Amino acid sequence: MIEFIVLMGIVVCFSGILALALNFQWGLGGMVNFGLAGFYALGAYSCALLMLKGGFNTFFAALGAMVIVGAVCGLVAFVTLRVTEEDYFAIVTLGVGEMLRLVALNEDWLTKGALGLTGIPRPLGATIPPTSYPYFMLALSIALVIACLWALNRLSRSPFGRVVRAVREDDVVAATLGKNVLWARVRIFAIGGVLIGLAGSLHAFYYQYIDPTQFSTIVIAYAFMAVIAGGRGAHLGTVLGAAVVMLLLEGSRFAKELVPLEADQLAAVRIIIIGVGLILLLIYRPHGFLREYRLQATLKEERPEPQPNTPKEAAT
Amino acid sequence: MLQTAFNGLVTGIIVALPALAVTLLFGVLKFANFAVGAMMTVAAYMVYALNTELDWPMLPATVAAAVAFGFMCILMDLVTFKPLRERGGLTLMVASLGLGFVLENVARLAYGNAARSYAMDLARPFRFMDIRMNREQMIAFVVATLAMAVMYVLLTRMPIGRAMRAVADNPALAQVRGIDSAAIIRWTWFIAGMLLAVGGVLIGMDRAIEPPMGASYLIPVFAAAILGGLGSPLGAFVGALLIGIVSEMATLVIPPNYRIGIPLLVIAAILIFRPQGLFGQAHIRR
Amino acid sequence: MKAKGFTRRNALKLLGAAAATPLTAPFLNLAHAQGATIPIGVALPMTGNAGAYGPDMGEAAKRTAERINKAGGILGGRKLELFIEDSESSASVAANLSQKFINVHRCQSLVGYWGTPEGMASRPIAIQNKVVLMVSSAANAITEGGSDGYVWRFQMKATDWGIVISRATEKLGFKSFGVMGLQNAFVLPIMRVFEERMTAGGRKVMDSLVYNPEQPSYRAEVERIFGKKPEAVYCFGLLPDFVSIIREVYRGGFDSKVVALSIMADAEGKFVQAVGPQVAEGIRHFQPMPDVSAPGYKRFLQLMGAPADRVLLFPPNTHDQIAMTALAMEKAKSPMAVDWSKQMIPVGNGPGEAVDDVLAGLEQLRSGKSINFQGAGSICDFTPNGDQLGRGMGQWIIKGGKQVFVEYARP
Repeated sequence: MIEFIVLMGIVVCFSGILALALNFQWGLGGMVNFGLAGFYALGAYSCALLMLKGGFNTFFAALGAMVIVGAVCGLVAFVTLRVTEEDYFAIVTLGVGEMLRLVALNEDWLTKGALGLTGIPRPLGATIPPTSYPYFMLALSIALVIACLWALNRLSRSPFGRVVRAVREDDVVAATLGKNVLWARVRIFAIGGVLIGLAGSLHAFYYQYIDPTQFSTIVIAYAFMAVIAGGRGAHLGTVLGAAVVMLLLEGSRFAKELVPLEADQLAAVRIIIIGVGLILLLIYRPHGFLREYRLQATLKEERPEPQPNTPKEAAT
Repeated sequence: MLQTAFNGLVTGIIVALPALAVTLLFGVLKFANFAVGAMMTVAAYMVYALNTELDWPMLPATVAAAVAFGFMCILMDLVTFKPLRERGGLTLMVASLGLGFVLENVARLAYGNAARSYAMDLARPFRFMDIRMNREQMIAFVVATLAMAVMYVLLTRMPIGRAMRAVADNPALAQVRGIDSAAIIRWTWFIAGMLLAVGGVLIGMDRAIEPPMGASYLIPVFAAAILGGLGSPLGAFVGALLIGIVSEMATLVIPPNYRIGIPLLVIAAILIFRPQGLFGQAHIRR
Repeated sequence: MKAKGFTRRNALKLLGAAAATPLTAPFLNLAHAQGATIPIGVALPMTGNAGAYGPDMGEAAKRTAERINKAGGILGGRKLELFIEDSESSASVAANLSQKFINVHRCQSLVGYWGTPEGMASRPIAIQNKVVLMVSSAANAITEGGSDGYVWRFQMKATDWGIVISRATEKLGFKSFGVMGLQNAFVLPIMRVFEERMTAGGRKVMDSLVYNPEQPSYRAEVERIFGKKPEAVYCFGLLPDFVSIIREVYRGGFDSKVVALSIMADAEGKFVQAVGPQVAEGIRHFQPMPDVSAPGYKRFLQLMGAPADRVLLFPPNTHDQIAMTALAMEKAKSPMAVDWSKQMIPVGNGPGEAVDDVLAGLEQLRSGKSINFQGAGSICDFTPNGDQLGRGMGQWIIKGGKQVFVEYARP
């Protein structure tokens, strides 16, 4: 039993990092990424291919994957956000995500197509004995989650973070204040991409086998659910939200024994519950569950930024 | 090659109705509704139920389902989107994503995963000027063109259409002028719902009926609406035909399994060169 | 402003409660927790692109286990307890399920695993944990690379499908071909073998392409392949895409003969139901299938309550997986896979008395005799690396809305 909890803990961790990425891009940056599953696949495949074909070790492969996804996200943002219509952005990310998955499925000279990539190495896989490996990986994953949280918090409180929030609240005002809105948005999306690359790499390390079926559209429903449950913009909340979603999903498998539905009907019902939950959360709990925590942060964040009185302040 | 172009026209005509629904919803309600794919799926299944379980012929089944679905859309708006109206387009989009998941899986819950078809006989094609056409495609053309004509009359000649356009242009001003925007919104959803229902039936006639059927059309539908200019009904129609033709013709040069990339390239090109689309109004943007 | 509703404390309480659910669930079922029952994990696709095939396989597993339990179970009265879960046609879900089966439910036998990705992802998990994994997938890679006797395939290898189909095609005498395949792990090896053998035999493959699942339309693919007017078009994929493709073929007025797989062209009646007899007329299809004349298969049909002429493609495999688990455990007198995995070949291949009824087999084993189990889906003979021998493919043709059997052939 313990081993299973440890394993699920690892899954929660990299799902949490994925949710953090979405939270950063959407919750903080106001950019909806409907192509999340495709970018996630890009991260996992990049990491795996860098190791299997490029001979990189796990550390550099993960780093490479983070750079690749970050760069692709930045590029997509740059090309699309020349026109700052948020609705267009969503459909473009959806399309790019689809194309990435198509490439993974069809270009089998590179990705082995539907058959997938097997035998993916894992960090320190050769040195740590298999029985204790899950514990190591859990520790590593938790450390990475904490690192991401720390980095994102630093970013949020930095001048860049203020620009991000200003841009999200009202980009016209932000522009008149001299902030380069396009560049800020590109960076936001790219940073989110770096996190997606990390999550993808961990996914590859954990399963040691990746194929296109693992990156289906439902991934994005779970991620949105986690972000909304945790409170948009609240980083720790997002990770907790991911944990709650994952636990509910796995817990609902146990519910099978109590509910008189066929397995395929139950599977449909679970997704219906996710969708309904998403909508209900949006309507009734837009700030997520961590109300008290968020309320303070909300008050702080939604107070209008003090207007720069001196040219020195305006230059930040 | 002519055949391929014609095939593209067929694809385009099927995309036209949902593209029109998307553009109407965007124009009046100001958000991109990503549930349109699943909405078409549900409506297609409703017609399937009437057609195969109650043995109604396709025409009355479609009409009945379209009307019913129009009302269902009003209901869905009341429950899902109205409470979020003040939150802006992004939130509504995410909510529509959730709604899409719910609708697709309701269909799956009711009918399972197996592919189905309407109880209508397929017909062999006839030749016209060296192009193969068949009866179903003719039906699709007639239905879609009729729908477009009705929509055109509605939007330009009738008071409801003018009111919709007023609300789309400037909701505050429209309110001041005495237009009941809540009623207009209901009408918009009703009309969009009917368009989506008919669109769903055309898709169901064209290919197999199965839960993911509508979602696979999301990208071409949005590409068509964007190409035509979000908010312009004529644009949606023209955009859909163009997307269809270009997608099919492209398979002469690119491998067909990548033809989903064509609508994407179109979107990218539009965004770079002419963001307002063919018929949309140019916004003043920085 | 006093915070109402969910405070951080409440959120953590919720988290704790949610976390407790999976922890308490096993204790809801005391009999299992105390080891009185034998847990078996069954991972099947109930949703996703293979979702049409899962439910019937699950039903077969359930009924087989019930039958064994009604007759007193195994290992001195212990009952089989199945955990049937949806693998969502996804490798990562299947991997998580496999971990859950092993770590939470303490299963020593994992069965089902229809799709190749599900099996591929679960393979290393099973081998590492020393539990048996029984798959129903075709891709060769599943049994490649040594599995210490823990991975067993209840299906014909993909390359063998290509061989049988090619040979049958030579008999049919088609000269020119178009080939269309779904991007899918088991389809591509079949396509490759088929095209190679046709070309080597001097026949013309005019065009070949691959298509994606869940495309809005297949018009362009049909136009390209059928437009060249080959004598026959071979189509390898799954039910939903095939329904769309065949409708397109009919409406396009194309005359090429269509050859497919039974999971597309029959799917236990769903295909003809979906397209109608006129459209389905003349379509030929192949599928590794049970020998329908075998008594084991006939007995299985009765168990499922199916009419005597029904061809069930996959459920018999799940029946055999449960049956072999029970028989091997009984022979080894142990529920632990390290012990009974070694009995898979003795029980399946013999030497011993040939039995086709799992209950009879259990009785024989209890009285110390050896058996050679003949299952519902196949004769259940295995190679040392886990592949199944003796499977054949059936060939059918649709005439007048009915499936007409043509012949049964082995690679």
